[in-house]
Amino acid sequence: MSDDAISDYYSDEEMEYNYSDPEQDGDDADLENEEEEDYAQFTPAVLGKRPLPWEVEYESLEPDKLREIVNKDVEHVAGIFGVEPEIARALLRHYKWNKERLIEQYMDGPERVLAAAGLPAQSGLPSFSNSRSLAATKKPATKSKSFSCPICASTQPGESAMALPCGHTFCSECWEMYITSKIKDEGECDVRCMEEGCAIRIPTAWMKKLLDSHTYARYQELLLAAYVADNRNFEFCPFPSCDLTVMTPNFSPTPSALSTTVPTVHCGHGHTFCFGCGEQQDHRPLICAVVKMWLRKCADDSETANWIKSNTKECPKCVSTIEKNGGCNHMTCKKCKHEFCWVCMGPWTEHGTAWYNCNRYDEKAGVDARDAQSRSRASLERYLHYYNRYANHEQSARLDRELYAKTEKKMEEMQIASELTWIEVQFAKRAVDELVRCRTTLKWTYAMAFYLEKNNETIMFEDNQRDLERAVEELSELLESPIEPMTITELRSKMTNLTVYVQKRNEIMLNDTAQKYQDGAWIWNVSVPDF
Amino acid sequence: MAGICRTRLSEERKQWRKDHPFGFYARPLKASDGSLDLLQWEVGIPGKPNTPWEGGIYKLTMTFPEDYPSKPPKCKFTPPLFHPNIYPSGTVCLSILDEEKGWKPAITFKQILLGIQELLNDPNVNDPAQSDAYTMFKNDKTAYERKVRSQARDNFPK
Repeated sequence: MSDDAISDYYSDEEMEYNYSDPEQDGDDADLENEEEEDYAQFTPAVLGKRPLPWEVEYESLEPDKLREIVNKDVEHVAGIFGVEPEIARALLRHYKWNKERLIEQYMDGPERVLAAAGLPAQSGLPSFSNSRSLAATKKPATKSKSFSCPICASTQPGESAMALPCGHTFCSECWEMYITSKIKDEGECDVRCMEEGCAIRIPTAWMKKLLDSHTYARYQELLLAAYVADNRNFEFCPFPSCDLTVMTPNFSPTPSALSTTVPTVHCGHGHTFCFGCGEQQDHRPLICAVVKMWLRKCADDSETANWIKSNTKECPKCVSTIEKNGGCNHMTCKKCKHEFCWVCMGPWTEHGTAWYNCNRYDEKAGVDARDAQSRSRASLERYLHYYNRYANHEQSARLDRELYAKTEKKMEEMQIASELTWIEVQFAKRAVDELVRCRTTLKWTYAMAFYLEKNNETIMFEDNQRDLERAVEELSELLESPIEPMTITELRSKMTNLTVYVQKRNEIMLNDTAQKYQDGAWIWNVSVPDF
Repeated sequence: MAGICRTRLSEERKQWRKDHPFGFYARPLKASDGSLDLLQWEVGIPGKPNTPWEGGIYKLTMTFPEDYPSKPPKCKFTPPLFHPNIYPSGTVCLSILDEEKGWKPAITFKQILLGIQELLNDPNVNDPAQSDAYTMFKNDKTAYERKVRSQARDNFPK
């Protein structure tokens, strides 16, 4: 079936579900969705494409590409100052890659800037010709004669003596040992002279000459890491053993930016993470600072709270927490001696002859007692309400791998049961992709709702949440349904439509929340610190 | 590397025996088999004259790691001293003893000991290591000096 046919289904269903917003659902938007769907699963906002309003523009970089960018910066500055790239690189690193500040201050007084960066003052500025060659910096104090290295206290042949432009001379073995330990043990790429208080930097040429290839490679890695750490627009992919970097040219994760934007990005290997907090998932629509609060709360409270919730009740009279560890429903509070029924929480006296078999749920006193209890536990229950839904979606999303496998099998079945080709059964996989994505959104909407002040905005928010939830559950159910050869075509159209609908609902949710972040319309019920 | 550590330490010991600052002492501990353990030193640092620290000789143990001089030695007063930059354990907090701050392989233990002597009467308030001495130093200099003087008396050489 062609894209057109899918579009047709989509528009038919639109009417049925009655969710369509005439302003949003132009034909163009539809076409674009269809176009993007196949290959843009992990790269919805790649540079050069128009990002959706709640997304940030970004680019995933291979290590070589990153190196290229670094070198471009270095060469740019080297060109302006007329210095060796080596010097420019050291200066840039000293200035945390803030090119503008470096250029400004260098123009004011190059000597001061050089000294601060641990670079030798040069005669004949700005040529830097004497630092050009390694040979020039490596002028042994004693030529050809033997010399005694003050570090290892051993006599060495004169050739092994090496000195930086500061003149502090040590033997090459000691230099190597020191630089290696700095790089390998401390992960420090910014290594200075071994003499006390001397801040002269060791040039890359020395590293190359002295270090073994493994350590030198590590040194190169550290250089890149320093660049990424110093630059707000770059972030390494936090997934283990992933070597990609993500760059957001138009977005800096400042506290104020992060209070209105959730910069979800995907590296070229398909890893999803947050550019702001490094959380290894898409936590839209909730902002980083609140995500952190929520996660900490869940880590602290939920287990204990769950245990208390499921194993204890409070005495309706004195509110002592009681754990029932056996026996019948006739409870006598140890503290205040109040007698009550464990099941309905009403006073025992009202139970009459129905003892040990509580069926008096609606008894007045019982209702009151339960009210009092629920009030005292309101906050806990409120938390658990949101937590359980959050955890449920998290759990469901965790099962997605299983669902992928199951769906794959189903897709094979479909091919056997019908005339459909592999390409034509991809709708099932697309449905799972969308399902997983929406469950993640849903999950975070529950964490968000927990922290939102109740007002008109939250009512709309909850409506959106409900619609999304309903659509997601429907799609989930459809994915679980058995395959009948007779109804495959029907299933296919239904699933395709639902997928598009769910995707649309998700977009509406994210759009709405993003818009209200921009407008400052969300009011938290706790004070949210800057991230 | 292990080779460097011991060569370097015996050279430093040689230099120390030839010449060392007045009032100081430093000797390697004896290992259980009676030989000298160059990685463990017992050291005495005198308080500077004309300071409340004067008169005392403060006992310190220096423990050198196997990768000395790539890594700095650990210096620990025994018993711990009342001083803003000395941890309750007795360990000295000093930038040149921190491999991520000021430590350089060219620093000799003579320089370290002189550095610690300097630190005694010139604490670094930006880097407190124990709260007792730090709070007193900040709030009540007179009481602080009195306490230091009495500590000096406790550390008079016997």
